[in-house]
Amino acid sequence: MSGLQIDAVEKDFGETSVLKGVTLNINDGEFVSLVGPSGCGKSTLLRIIAGLETATRGTVSIDGTDVTHVRAADRNLSMVFQSYALYPHLTVAENIAVPLRMRQMSTTQRLPVVGGLIPGTGPLKRDISQAVRHAAEMLEIGALLDRKPGQLSGGQRQRVALGRALVRNPAAFLLDEPLSNLDAKLRVQTRAEIAQLHRKLKATFIYVTHDQVEAMTMSDRIAVMMGGEILQCAAPEVIYEDPNDIRVAEFIGSPKINILPLEHTNDGVVLLGRVLDWPMPAGMPHLMQLGLRPEALRLVEGPSKLRGRVVHFENLGSEIFAQVVLYDGDIRLTLRATPADRQRLSLGKEVSLEFELRSGLIFDTAGKRLRMAEVKTRAAKEVA
Amino acid sequence: MALIEASHGSKVSQDNHQVRTAWSMTAPALALMFLILLVPIVVAGVLSFSNYSLGNTGFDWVGSQNYERLFSRSTYEKMFIATFTYVVTVVPISVGLGLGAALLVHSLGRVGDIYKTIYFLPVMATLLAMAIAWEFMLHPTIGMVNRTLEIACGTWLETIPFFLQGCEGSFPLWLGDRDYAIWVVCFIGIWQGFGFNMVLFLAGLTSVHRELYNAAEMDGARSGWEQFRLVTWPALGPTTVFVVTISCIRAFQVFDTIEAFWPQGGGPSKSAYVMMFAIFEKGIQQNLIGVGSAITMLFLLFVMFLTLIQRWLIERKVHYG
Repeated sequence: MSGLQIDAVEKDFGETSVLKGVTLNINDGEFVSLVGPSGCGKSTLLRIIAGLETATRGTVSIDGTDVTHVRAADRNLSMVFQSYALYPHLTVAENIAVPLRMRQMSTTQRLPVVGGLIPGTGPLKRDISQAVRHAAEMLEIGALLDRKPGQLSGGQRQRVALGRALVRNPAAFLLDEPLSNLDAKLRVQTRAEIAQLHRKLKATFIYVTHDQVEAMTMSDRIAVMMGGEILQCAAPEVIYEDPNDIRVAEFIGSPKINILPLEHTNDGVVLLGRVLDWPMPAGMPHLMQLGLRPEALRLVEGPSKLRGRVVHFENLGSEIFAQVVLYDGDIRLTLRATPADRQRLSLGKEVSLEFELRSGLIFDTAGKRLRMAEVKTRAAKEVA
Repeated sequence: MALIEASHGSKVSQDNHQVRTAWSMTAPALALMFLILLVPIVVAGVLSFSNYSLGNTGFDWVGSQNYERLFSRSTYEKMFIATFTYVVTVVPISVGLGLGAALLVHSLGRVGDIYKTIYFLPVMATLLAMAIAWEFMLHPTIGMVNRTLEIACGTWLETIPFFLQGCEGSFPLWLGDRDYAIWVVCFIGIWQGFGFNMVLFLAGLTSVHRELYNAAEMDGARSGWEQFRLVTWPALGPTTVFVVTISCIRAFQVFDTIEAFWPQGGGPSKSAYVMMFAIFEKGIQQNLIGVGSAITMLFLLFVMFLTLIQRWLIERKVHYG
């Protein structure tokens, strides 16, 4: 058994319950993102894994060993902080060397003058500086080793923080929103570099972010957290295409998924007053919700089930997002269109929308996915 | 070409205009600085080479005689010993206690506010008023200190030589004893000063990034001492330099305790005859402006020296980045 196991972890701050029984198994070498809106408990969970916070209930194990009551310094984990947390008085090289100096050298060996006199200090120091150079070269910051953090740009500081994390061989890397202080362009670049680093090191990465794009692009698996629980933990494409919960569907995907009310009556399935050709199995609730991704909608000529007026549109060059207010029910839908459709999408213009029944995701009123309803639909569609 | 020259010329006159405005704006500040800072220092410097007394119509130049006296007479030797004893004792202890108290108070949270107030009280109270309270407490026979010490008589504490002597004869006279006088002054200086240092250190501690402690823990700094060495102490560098300099200057300036305890002489056999008191006694009480000015110049030299060290340290060592 290897990797990291989090078992029924709960955390209370006074009366407030921040984590409500989180269970997560992370395999050796896996890149797992914890993603969710701010206040969902993802950073607290990471700090509990790191050992900087203790769980109120539940256990954390690393490689099958229970470390719930082991302090952070003894867990053999590395962490990159949101603020980078570099020591301002040390040079880049010294910053990267700190984890090695603290773990491999004794207190007397670290003393400025006396330390050099103790046998074994010299070779140890050489080993450490070699490891530092190696880490610096891997991150392409070899030229900065003599600078202080105050003389570096945000991106360079971020690399130094990464260097400090990877200079030793930890059981896992914990990253707490490491890209949130970078500008948009640098973020995209560093995102790719971290993903490459993961492939190169083949180490376990646990990555906390509120940015779903980061989670989608870098992870092997995404754990979507909300209200102190993991709603779903799966591969990025599963999270996007096959969410278990309406909150997952709404959080992942930009622009947000469109949600429409769906009624199941004796006449059949009714969407905004129109009966759909939708064979619903028995036992489905009266009221449901239909989730449609913006790319599931398409523009059509002539009358259709969904008609409305364009109230806003954003042209991103390669694609266009238009917001359409439907005539029925005053519902706003977001639609993704190609540049070829630009002529048909001027502001205030009336449009007709169509969608494939099979691309709709159906949820009950509490937000739980109703896969039963969808399977039948797809079957029906195929028969038709 | 002519056009370029014309525009060039107008640019020069514009520059001149700006320079003139800048000087006229800074002139009042410069004049004030010159009048109330530099002129008195220069006057004191000039007078230190004379035998001027206030009220006299003239004076004679005496060359470096005043300075020679400072370095030859035993009174001034005592002055230097008392001053440096005070500085060397009070500065490290009040800075160390200030830092220790700040770290403890900082770790307490809400309860710490009470301690903050208690430790800061002596700073707010006038030292002159406090000196009277201390004089009462340190009175050899009716003072609280010696009476408390007397309780120990007849107990096992008598095995300690200090108590044995005190119980058989008498406990120290404190302010009247030349072996104790300067140390009592030092003690009061520390008692009065460390609260101020604590507040400065507390301000410094609030600027330490909390995440740095987490990073230090992750990096394997297990003990509180290692975290202090790695995070707290470097972060407090600028504060420490400032606190040490301020404490030094304040220690050189000690005056009111001594004036309150021994208005007529600077302690038993001049054992607490510090520089400020010497300036006061010579320059004001005895109207020997020349000697008083010479001590003043020496005092300014010390303070200037300390300030320069502080500037150098701050620019070189403790400001990162």
